[in-house]
Amino acid sequence: MKLNNTEPLEYSTNQNQMNILGFWIFLGAEIMLFGTLFASFFTLENGVGSGPSGAEVFEITPVILETVILLTSSFTIGLAIHAMRINNKKATLAFLGITLLLGLSFLGVEVYEFIHYYHVGVTLQTSAFSAILLTTLGTHGAHVTFGLFWGLFIFLQIKKRGFTPETTNKSFIFSLYWHFLDVVWIFIFSFIYLKGMM
Amino acid sequence: MKELFPVKQVMGFVFSLVLTAVALSVYFFNMSFEMGMTILLVTAFIQAALQLVFFMHAGESNDKKAIYTNVYYGIAIALVTVFGTLLTLIWGYM
Repeated sequence: MKLNNTEPLEYSTNQNQMNILGFWIFLGAEIMLFGTLFASFFTLENGVGSGPSGAEVFEITPVILETVILLTSSFTIGLAIHAMRINNKKATLAFLGITLLLGLSFLGVEVYEFIHYYHVGVTLQTSAFSAILLTTLGTHGAHVTFGLFWGLFIFLQIKKRGFTPETTNKSFIFSLYWHFLDVVWIFIFSFIYLKGMM
Repeated sequence: MKELFPVKQVMGFVFSLVLTAVALSVYFFNMSFEMGMTILLVTAFIQAALQLVFFMHAGESNDKKAIYTNVYYGIAIALVTVFGTLLTLIWGYM
């Protein structure tokens, strides 16, 4: 294995660089995936049938809470990567742990929100609007859920093995994924919730 | 402790909170639909660019060109999908 010491550890081997580039290509595909979901949402959002519209069921408090939680977790995963680069294992684990806890609280609020929707009669089968709303939110939520487990395993690997070209590479790629989820949420926040309540 | 909180990241975080607050103004203040959408479009895309450059270090690797080309390609396809759909299924019937 050829090590390049002028680069951060996560870029240190050719395989590592390829992994990171490959993940960016995956994120490009994810951008398109969410693009299709937004296109469907904008097409169907007025098809409420006999069910309620977005303006009637959206609540601003959980939405603000979710946004601040996710923005903060995106900040703390950035700090975790920074701590990793200055070789501070304790701080990296602490920031990664905080990120995962924030991710968990985000999901908690989202679960509350979905229960609320159920009670006010917004389910997958209510109307075109409710179907695409829950599909879009659910796809994002499923990504966060997946990220939680992924992050947990990386936490355990760093704890056990310390910083190696492999664990740093995995952590960096996980941070890309987590930031990406935050970006997607910003668009959900702006063009589904705020636009719907405007 | 201080070396754990680089200025660049803290500034990026503060700026993203400010952008969120600006976006929230469309909810708390009365404004026209056009005005609100303009604010949301501007804040959302700045916010996304901020994450990409400040937090995701998109420009630091040797594959910078490939990474940016790929991201722009993804965004272009997403925009064509969204606006093409709006054009053919919504705006054409208004």
